Amino acid sequence: MTSNSQVAAQFSLRAVLALGAACVVVGFSLFPLYIMITTALKSESDIFSWPPTWTFEPTLQAFKNAFLLFGGQNVLVFLFNSVLITAASTVLAVGLGSMAAYALARFPFRGSKHLAFFILSTRFAPPVAFIVPIYLMFRSVGLIDTHLALILFYTSMNLSFVIWVLRGFFADIPIELEEAALVDGYTRWQVFLRIALPLVRPGLAATAILSAVFAWNEFLLANIITQRDAATIPVYLSGFSASMGIAWGEYMAVGFFAVAPIMIFTLFLQRHLVRGLTFGAVR
Amino acid sequence: MKYFREKRRIAFAMISPSILVIVAINIFPILFAVYISLHLWSFGRGVPRFAGFLNYEELYYDGRFGDAVLTSAKFVFFAVLLEFVVGFALAFLFNVKVRGMATLRQIAVLPIMVMPIVAGLVWFYMFNENFGVINWLITLLGSEKVGFLTDLDVALFSIVLADAWQWTPFVMLVMFAALQSLPEYVYEAAKMDGLNAWQTFWRVTIPMLRPSIMIVILLRIVDSFKMIELVFMMTQGGPAGRTEVLPWYLYVTGFQALDLGFAAAMAVSMLILVTIFTQLFLSRVGIGNDNK
Repeated sequence: MTSNSQVAAQFSLRAVLALGAACVVVGFSLFPLYIMITTALKSESDIFSWPPTWTFEPTLQAFKNAFLLFGGQNVLVFLFNSVLITAASTVLAVGLGSMAAYALARFPFRGSKHLAFFILSTRFAPPVAFIVPIYLMFRSVGLIDTHLALILFYTSMNLSFVIWVLRGFFADIPIELEEAALVDGYTRWQVFLRIALPLVRPGLAATAILSAVFAWNEFLLANIITQRDAATIPVYLSGFSASMGIAWGEYMAVGFFAVAPIMIFTLFLQRHLVRGLTFGAVR
Repeated sequence: MKYFREKRRIAFAMISPSILVIVAINIFPILFAVYISLHLWSFGRGVPRFAGFLNYEELYYDGRFGDAVLTSAKFVFFAVLLEFVVGFALAFLFNVKVRGMATLRQIAVLPIMVMPIVAGLVWFYMFNENFGVINWLITLLGSEKVGFLTDLDVALFSIVLADAWQWTPFVMLVMFAALQSLPEYVYEAAKMDGLNAWQTFWRVTIPMLRPSIMIVILLRIVDSFKMIELVFMMTQGGPAGRTEVLPWYLYVTGFQALDLGFAAAMAVSMLILVTIFTQLFLSRVGIGNDNK
């Protein structure tokens, strides 16, 4: 027979062990990000030192180099392209996708379920399979190295996922509210915009964040269909090998700006992300 | 009658813009890839010539393609295995109800959102043979320095490790959410039936988690199959082709060797492979059915 105090002691030991183990996991998750930030803040001699230095005099030289003079290429243009393309494709994907998702959830027709599933399955295709045809297509209509090309591609990639996930969210809200609004004289568009959309706000937030992250992080297609004018941050970073492996600090500094905004977003908006990440399969 | 027609009109207006975009940017390129793959088609070497299944025939006899398939299979197998086993265990760890655990969990999953190119850049630095921190750690443990990205037998596993850093938290997050959604009464019933913790785990928890387990494995297989960023940043397919996964080989064929017809044949083969695989997998799990 264990007494109550023994149970409490056991429990707290288990809690401490669990917390300790969880801290180790968090350390492993954060370690590469820590390396990224410290490398960006190190002087060149510290970056190449052996053994690696853990205490060092932080300097902003790498940030200055990266953003003010480095390589004659202006990183800020790449950042601007990334922001513009991410914002436009996210708005388009969530805007168009929410309409389609609502229609598929509320006005089912024969085969609408198959259509929804077919739309989802396009998301499983490896992007690399698209590089050849998309490149030739965009080249033939003069869209190579334009913002529009990437906006279109990311919108399409995200649409399939937005439609599938939001369709589940719409199906979850009771239809009675919308019927009542129809009786009150709302048009169908008003019902969609004023009743249904506000009710799936968590779904909109989750799909918008994940669409934005996808567009922001996407590298392969951006690398193929942009060269200079519309190239995004991942394309800039992939040029590292061209720096002959010496500009570590500068690239880490840019990498910090590529990762930080997304980190801040996800730290605060984690609810419903799982449902989006698993295409609605796990809630 | 008018009512139904109005409904159909609205549904059409709402769906068609999305369908239009998806058909133009998603479906058409696939058909176009099939068309390209039936031609001898390369940059700057005159007009494409129809060649039937020549590219596919070549693909069949191409040893490098076979190697890339094997490398991809190896990468997917080890990455998903590692990510699943560790992620699954971590889900139970983060499910322990203690104050502060939720915050730790939210920080632990941050790697999921890191730009893959940046992940590749940082791990490239950490794996460096001359000044990388990982080599420093293993020399502390008394080992010799290892050429993590240059050793023929090690390079692929270095990429697996970097991939696992990013995606193990994903498995953890999904399995954690699945654990949370298990109803409490099942456990009460198990307790009343006198099952011990071990039995409860195998006979109650695992069967109830099965759909989520299948989904997370499917998503990881499909996603790790398309991984190219880590290879791009860390090894460029080397050393001696040991990390040349299919996406990298396709990329090199299309945009360095400029053999578009051959690259398209590879693309079509990949699409067929993924489609068959996901359809088989999904028909067994039924992801298409549980979403109403």
